[in-house]
Amino acid sequence: MKKFEFPRAAMLGTGALLLIPFAANGAYFEHLLVMWMLYALMAISLNIIVGYLGELSFGHAAFFGLGAYASAMMTVYAGFPFWMGLLASAVVAALFGLAIGYVSLRIKGPQFAILTLGFGAILQSVFNNWVDVTNGPLGITKIPAPKIPFLDVTIAGGIPYYYLVLFFLLVATYMCRALMRSRTGRAFEALRENDMLASSLGINVFRYKLIGFVAATMFVGVAGSLYAHYIKIITPSLFTLQYMAPMIIMVIIGGKGTVTGPVVGAFVYIVLLELLRASGSMRMLVFAFLLTLSVIFLPGGLVSLLPYWRNQRGAGKRDD
Amino acid sequence: MNTSILLQQLANGLVNGMGYVLIAVGLTLVFGVLRIVNFAHGEFYMLGAFAAYFSISLLGVPYYVAVLVATVVVAGVGVLANQVLFKPLRREHEFTILMVSLGLSLMLANGGELVFGADPKYIASPFADMSVEIGPVFLTWQRIIVVLASIVLIGLVYLFIRKTRMGKMMQATAQNRDGAALSGVNIDWVHTYTFALACGLAAAAGALMGPTTVIFPTIGEWAVLKGFIVVIMGGLGSIGGAVAGGLILGVAEAVGANYISIAFKDALGYGIVVAVLLWRPAGLFSPRV
Repeated sequence: MKKFEFPRAAMLGTGALLLIPFAANGAYFEHLLVMWMLYALMAISLNIIVGYLGELSFGHAAFFGLGAYASAMMTVYAGFPFWMGLLASAVVAALFGLAIGYVSLRIKGPQFAILTLGFGAILQSVFNNWVDVTNGPLGITKIPAPKIPFLDVTIAGGIPYYYLVLFFLLVATYMCRALMRSRTGRAFEALRENDMLASSLGINVFRYKLIGFVAATMFVGVAGSLYAHYIKIITPSLFTLQYMAPMIIMVIIGGKGTVTGPVVGAFVYIVLLELLRASGSMRMLVFAFLLTLSVIFLPGGLVSLLPYWRNQRGAGKRDD
Repeated sequence: MNTSILLQQLANGLVNGMGYVLIAVGLTLVFGVLRIVNFAHGEFYMLGAFAAYFSISLLGVPYYVAVLVATVVVAGVGVLANQVLFKPLRREHEFTILMVSLGLSLMLANGGELVFGADPKYIASPFADMSVEIGPVFLTWQRIIVVLASIVLIGLVYLFIRKTRMGKMMQATAQNRDGAALSGVNIDWVHTYTFALACGLAAAAGALMGPTTVIFPTIGEWAVLKGFIVVIMGGLGSIGGAVAGGLILGVAEAVGANYISIAFKDALGYGIVVAVLLWRPAGLFSPRV
C-alpha cells in the first residue's frame, strides 16, 4: 500500500516545493525560503544520526562549519570555482566524519553525545584560535556567489539560490529514502531498535553506524558550503550550539526518523523564528518549550499527526 | 621552569577543580541513581549563583547566608523540576529524558536571561578581596572557602549515601531499580532526594564559585559541559570518579593554559576526555553495573 502511495505524495511535495517561489513576493520572503531549504538540509542530515541510528550527535554543527570553511577557503584563498569548493566541503566533512565517527562510535548513548560535543568544541577552538589560517573570530568574508560553469551566470540571492539548495535537498531526501529502503537502511533500523540483537544477527553495528555517520556529516558539509556561499560571511560560531540547538529542535518537532519530518520541522522553525523576531530572548524560550512539549506529547513529531489527520478525513468522506 | 609559577597554577587548578567536583557529583548522582542524563544540571549552578546574588543585593543578607539560601532554594527548584518533568517520564526511553532535560536547560537559560538580564553580574563576597600568601602561592580567601566548603559538602554527601536509610535506598535504586522497588524502597522519594541533593550541590557550587568570576545567565552551559567532561572522564555514576576527574581537569586546565596556550584551555579538557574514552570507554573509575 505504502509503495503506491508514497511516490504520489513525493511528487506532490516536490511539485509544491518547485512552485512555492512563484507565491513569494519580495526579497524578504525569498530569503526565508532559502533559509528554510538550508535548515531543512541540515535537519535531514542530523536526522540520519538521530532518527535512523538512534544516537544524538552534539558535534553536528562542527561538520556544518567544516563544510563552510572548506568551501570558503577553496574559493576565497585558492580561487577555485564554487563547485570545487562544494566538492571539497563534502570530502572534508566526510573525512572528518570518518575519523571522528571511527573514534566516537565505539561508545553510545550519552557518552557518545558528549564525545561528539567534545570534538565539536575542539574544532571550534582550533578555528577560533588558528588565526593565520582561519582568520579567527573575524571569519572569512567576501565568499563569492556560485557561478554556473561555462555560462558565466551567477546564482545570487533569492529564487535562483532557492532552486540550487532545493536541488541538493531533493537529492538528499531521495538518497535518504533509498538508503532506508535498502539492506543498509534495514540494518540501521535493526540496530536502532536493539543493537545487541542486531549484532547477534550478524549486523556489524559499528560499520553500519559509521556509514550512517559519514553520510550525515557529508550532507551537512554540503549544507555548510551552500550556507557560506549564500550568507557570504562565516565565523567559528557555525561550530557552536547556536547552530546545533536549531538542528535538534527541527528534527524533534518535525519528526525524527522520517523523510519529511526534518523539512516540516525546518519550516516550523523558520516561520516561528520570524514571527517571534520582535520578542528577542523570548524566542529561544518558546522553542525550548515547544521542544519539551514535543518530546513528551508528540514523540513522533508533527508528521506523526498526518496519518491521523488523513484517517479523520477518510472517515469523514465515508460518512458523506 | 619556574617552580613558584607551577605551584601557583597547581593551586588555582585545584580550586577550580573543586568547583568542578561540586558540579560533577550532582550530575553523576542523578545519572547513577536515576539513570537520567541531566543537561539542565548547569542551569542549577547558574540559578544558585543568581540566588546568592539576589539574596545579597535584595535581602541584604551576609554572604554565607546567601550561599545557604541559594542551596536550599535551588534544591527546591530541582525537586519541582523532578515532579513536573522527570518523575512522570521515568518509564520513558533514555533519549526522551535526555531531550527533555535539554529542553529544560534551554528554558532555564533563556528564561534566566529574560528575568535576570544578560549583563554580567558580580556576587559581592567579603572574602573575594582578602588574600593570603602560602609560601609562593597567592590565593584569595574566597578560593580557600571554595575548597573547604567543597570538602565539607562532599564529605556530607558521602556520609549521607553511606550511613543514612535514604542513602542506602539510593544505593539500592542505583543497583537495581525494580529490585529496590520490590523490596519496599519508595522510588518517588529516592527521586526527590536525589534531585534535591544534586541541584543543591550545583547551586552551592554556583554560589561559591560565583564570586571568583562574574556570573551571567548562560554560565549554565559552561558548567554542564565541565560537569560532563569530569563525569565522563571519571566514569558516569561514580562519585570517586567525579572527585578525581574534577581535580584532574582543574589542574590540567590551569597548567595547560600556562604552559601550552590559554586559547586552547577549553579544548584541552575535551582532548583529555577524548583520550580517556579511547583508552577506557567507561571512564577511569567506572562503577560496576
